[in-house]
Amino acid sequence: MELCNRLKEIRLQKDLTQESLAAAVGVTRQTIIAVEKGKFGPSVRLALRLASTLDVSIEEIFWLENSTGEKL
Amino acid sequence: MTSMAPYYVSRALISIALGVFLALTGSQWWMAGLASLIVLALFLWAPHSGRYAVHPEFGVTALRRDERTQAINDQAARNAFIVTGLIIAGIAVYFSKIALASVPVAVLNLALLCGMLTYFVSDFWLRRTQS
Repeated sequence: MELCNRLKEIRLQKDLTQESLAAAVGVTRQTIIAVEKGKFGPSVRLALRLASTLDVSIEEIFWLENSTGEKL
Repeated sequence: MTSMAPYYVSRALISIALGVFLALTGSQWWMAGLASLIVLALFLWAPHSGRYAVHPEFGVTALRRDERTQAINDQAARNAFIVTGLIIAGIAVYFSKIALASVPVAVLNLALLCGMLTYFVSDFWLRRTQS
């Protein structure tokens, strides 16, 4: 199962830079970059902070996909 | 908006204290001054390095590792521990079964050096590949 996200898309919709989102949730810009690229799976705490800051539900940002690309 | 002034003032004082300490313990004044400046430059660079999350509200401890940085540090430390352990095990086997001599201190220093190198290389590599 792969953790997928549309963090970048939602961040851009909200007109936020990586820098400002990072500052709002208390992490480095590199962490936001890593999450957006799917190279780092955030903790539940960080995922919830991202959802709260972007004013969306956590499922709108993150979801799991199986090996066939099917959303779980 | 909270200021970063406490962080910068405290780091300037630490840099000056380091320079004074080096001068008082026998270093030449220009070497002490240079070391002080280098340390101050590192402190000034740190908030912009991307290695730390900046929290001005915490005052003098404004720089914090975030969860990704912490995960990278933990992984690098695990790698270093494993490498050091394996080298020490190899040294122990070699000197007890093959060389039949006591282990020279220089060889143990080499094991520790390899451990440190592993830590820094792992840290550098993980930062490059996880961003």
